[in-house]
Amino acid sequence: MRGCSRSYAQLLSQLQNQANMEENPNLLLEPYIHLQDLDTDILRNSCMVYPSVFPSEDALRALSKPGFLHAVHATLGRLWNSLTALQKQLLQDQDLPRLTITKHNIQGMRNNIHCLAWWLGSPLETSEPTQGGSRVSLTPTPALDVFWSKMKSCRLLWGYHHFIGLVGRVFREWEDNPNRSRRHSPLRLVLPKGTRKIRPSRRGQRPVRRAQRPR
Amino acid sequence: MPTLPAWVVQALVIFLTTGSTGQLLDPCGYIYPESPVIQYGSNFTAVCVLKEKCMDNYNVNATYIVWKTNHVAVPKEQYTIINRTASSVTFVSMAYLSVQLTCNILTYGQLEQNVYGVTVVSGFPPEEPKNLSCIVNEGKKMMCQWDPGRETYLETNFTLKSEWATEKFADCKTKRGNPTSCIVDYAPIYFVNIEVWVEAENSLGKATSEHINFDPVDRVKPNPPRNLSVSNSEELSSILKLSWINPNIRNVIRLKYNIQYRTKDATAWSQIPLEDTVATRSSFTVQDLNPFTEYVFRIRCMKEDGRGFWSDWSEEASGVTYEDRPSKAPSFWFKINPSRTQDYRSVQLIWKTLPPFEANGKILDYEVTLRRWKSPSQNYTVNDTELTVNLTNDRYVATLAARNRVGKSDASVLPIPPYPFQASQPVTNLKAFPKDNMLWVEWTAPSKSVRKYILEWCVLSDSSPCVPDWQQEEGTVHQTYLKGNIEESRCYLIVVTPVYPAGPGHPQSVKAYLKQAAPSKGPTVRTKKVGKTEAVLEWDQLPVDVQNGFIRNYSIFYKTIVGNETVVNVDSSHTEYTLSSLTSDTLYMVRMAAYTDEGGKDGPEFTFTTPKFAQGEVEAIVVPVCLAFLLTTLLGVLFCFNKRHLIKKHIWPNVPDPSKSHIAQWSPHTPPRHNFNAKDQMYSDGNFTDVSVVEIEANDKKPFPDDLKSLDLFKKDKVSAEGHSSGIGGSSCMSSSRPSISSGDENTASTVQYSTVVHSGYRHQAPSVQVFSRSESTQPLLDSEERPEDAQLVAESGDRGDSIPPRQQYFKQSCGQPDTSPDTCHFERSDQLSCGSEEDLVRLKQQPGLGHTSQPCGSEQVKALQEGSAADTFGPRAEGHTEKLETVGVEAALDEGIPKSYLPQTVRQGGYVPQ
Repeated sequence: MRGCSRSYAQLLSQLQNQANMEENPNLLLEPYIHLQDLDTDILRNSCMVYPSVFPSEDALRALSKPGFLHAVHATLGRLWNSLTALQKQLLQDQDLPRLTITKHNIQGMRNNIHCLAWWLGSPLETSEPTQGGSRVSLTPTPALDVFWSKMKSCRLLWGYHHFIGLVGRVFREWEDNPNRSRRHSPLRLVLPKGTRKIRPSRRGQRPVRRAQRPR
Repeated sequence: MPTLPAWVVQALVIFLTTGSTGQLLDPCGYIYPESPVIQYGSNFTAVCVLKEKCMDNYNVNATYIVWKTNHVAVPKEQYTIINRTASSVTFVSMAYLSVQLTCNILTYGQLEQNVYGVTVVSGFPPEEPKNLSCIVNEGKKMMCQWDPGRETYLETNFTLKSEWATEKFADCKTKRGNPTSCIVDYAPIYFVNIEVWVEAENSLGKATSEHINFDPVDRVKPNPPRNLSVSNSEELSSILKLSWINPNIRNVIRLKYNIQYRTKDATAWSQIPLEDTVATRSSFTVQDLNPFTEYVFRIRCMKEDGRGFWSDWSEEASGVTYEDRPSKAPSFWFKINPSRTQDYRSVQLIWKTLPPFEANGKILDYEVTLRRWKSPSQNYTVNDTELTVNLTNDRYVATLAARNRVGKSDASVLPIPPYPFQASQPVTNLKAFPKDNMLWVEWTAPSKSVRKYILEWCVLSDSSPCVPDWQQEEGTVHQTYLKGNIEESRCYLIVVTPVYPAGPGHPQSVKAYLKQAAPSKGPTVRTKKVGKTEAVLEWDQLPVDVQNGFIRNYSIFYKTIVGNETVVNVDSSHTEYTLSSLTSDTLYMVRMAAYTDEGGKDGPEFTFTTPKFAQGEVEAIVVPVCLAFLLTTLLGVLFCFNKRHLIKKHIWPNVPDPSKSHIAQWSPHTPPRHNFNAKDQMYSDGNFTDVSVVEIEANDKKPFPDDLKSLDLFKKDKVSAEGHSSGIGGSSCMSSSRPSISSGDENTASTVQYSTVVHSGYRHQAPSVQVFSRSESTQPLLDSEERPEDAQLVAESGDRGDSIPPRQQYFKQSCGQPDTSPDTCHFERSDQLSCGSEEDLVRLKQQPGLGHTSQPCGSEQVKALQEGSAADTFGPRAEGHTEKLETVGVEAALDEGIPKSYLPQTVRQGGYVPQ
């Protein structure tokens, strides 16, 4: 696909690096905690609550590769909207300068997931990030009191780092065992004998998909 | 009336102007296409369409259209009349980048009017941009650059396009004037592949570069590590620890490093092996450094996998390793001063400071120990590098150690031999040669074990003394280079001395140059001795300061002014050379050139001239000639002595006694040219006693010898007549050498004509020339001979020119030269005659065996005389006297070839009778 990496391994590596980069709480969470004066143990502890808006690790691990990619892609889309809202809540960009970069990186991860899904023969819809999922809106409510809003944003950021870390670990596992048969993985790459599992594609030419669609 | 605002006025003016000009500029037709842009070299067709209204106004149609490019009419062959209103013009292979094309009509006959004009622009479509590459400078936005291809000559836009699989980014349009690079306006997003390409577009087309797909993180050029610092370790004097702060990109990518270092004074960098610094880090310990040495470091980084670009070098940082004890004993040597007493000698111990890499710290002082056999050692602590001590004539052993803050070096041991001491065992095969811009010395070690070698050297110079430098080498070394400031083109005297445990061996020396050059001055050559055909040249050896190398040979160049140059090569050991086979009496130019291995230099030119004669050659010629002359003279004297009576008879004739003379009477047939009337009184005075008339038959057509013979005969007759005339002939001869007397007598009563010499035609032919005809009296001549001052007075009176002397007239006539050139032949000839004179000539001819003997005047003079006789005496100038001679000739009645002689007789005045 045009614009994608020519190598599955490279895509996987890029996603791992992106996850490694973004899981670091020093990039967003810690600056936000310091910025919002939430740097107390109690507040930290109350901040480190995994928001239900993010899929759990078990849920993610239960997914097939395409399903996993779909889930992560969708979550990152919602997250991007939430961060955009957070960005609007903040008075100035320089209050949390890394936020813009994080948003770009989220877009980059979604692009890589899109490419990886295409590589896996399960292309994603190329719709723009939507306003959150059906269950929970990640957009903070301005009407609530400020403290609750800060805590919610803090949990969002902590949850972001946590979620990205989780995604990174899954991708590392993919790299360690690319042919790993997942328990609930109805979708697998079935490549002919003797062909490399990962190969560069020509520009604009989809790789031959020899996998079954999920039923 | 309210004033209208200014802008309203301006708007009205513009509106009105535009409306009016719109009508005024309403064209008569149009050209299609309106703004043509074509490919350079392609065909192009334009059509001009006239408006009906215009055609009616001017009564023209399409046939009246004239096409012009840049105001030059286009040939009609390129026109095509499409219809009544349209005409097209076609250009094949348009070769203009920009040309003005106008459509014109010919109105009213030939009046050309412009209808419409367009500018045709040509160029090339853009080529595909090549070599697209991008770089992401850390903290900055991505910049891509490319090769735009050939010049299009058209305005071409380059657009850098970039996209993800899911997103397109804003185009990056190049700035005018910089169509080869562009900086995108979004921050790079790492670990996401981006596809980038360049589109070039102009009026003639569009070209797209190859798409490149890359992860921006693989195009990163990180910022250099900052705050580089260096620290040493007291425990280890060979290490330095570097610390730095990594660039922020370190949070995104892993880094590898490139660390370089050098000593402070060095220019070349050493590098830490790259494999030692492949991982991200913020410090590194550099090992194997020299103690107490300042090192300078710098570092750069790049992405660990090597993708991307190296960062710039960090700022340099320096540090000094900790001290260590001196690693080597100093070089140690001695000199014995020449002044010494009976029991003591002054010994100067000298040593070298250790180089920093051996000193390993700051040398605080040197410890010197002197030990004599079974005597307590003497210890000295010296801060300098020399120590002068008075030692006995015994053998000593000196030791030296350098000390720094950490410790002291090993001791350097130097045996000082007793006095006297006979050195022996020198090195052999000592050689010195330049190599790698160093002066190397090589020798063969003696058979005996050598403790060390001392190499001393100095510059040999005529202007400065030999100031030796020295160095020490280990006993195992037999080849080294001089570790000093060795200059090129300087002659070094190198001395190698082996040092044995018992003392120094015999030194050996050699001369060498680090790099030779041509001499800076050539030798000055001079002659030592110059002969007729050879010259000995000599010169001085060049001073060593100007030699600049070993003089290998000399060349001597010598030549004459017109000749080719000859070259002779002479061995450098010579200081003189003999040039042979030279030409005598010739100027030679000679110069010399001295040659080293690297070239030669000419000296000044020197000139010399070979003599005409060799030494003694003149003497060899002159002496025999003088001897011959002397012998000839002697023979002549002897001859004269033997013939003295005959000579006396000629030189001192018997002079008649005038008192016993009788008055002679001239023949009445004396030539009328002589004015005897004026002499009548003289005759009456009876001042002469005898008259002889001699007629000589001469013919100028006859060869001169015959004339001379006749003259000889005549003179013989005169000689024979002397017996009768008692020296009249001699007087006549004498008078001929003093014509002033005889010819100036016409107005002088004291002189009379007593003889006439004429010549008649040869063999009864009419004489063409009268030689001379005159008479002279002997008596006044005798008088003038006795008083030459009187003769001189007479001559002077003639010179005064108050009256032209007849003698001058005579000589002018006889010379046959114009009056305007009175200066030459006759006076010269007269002188010749006075010098040798006909008389002498005749006399000499009369002498047997001496007829043609050269006279003091020389044979040439004789020859000239002969020629003068032939050319002048019998010359045509005498024609004026021909008539008179005929008269004489008839009366002389000469027989064929035999001159008649007339003895003086006592006749009537003015006549004589032939006998």
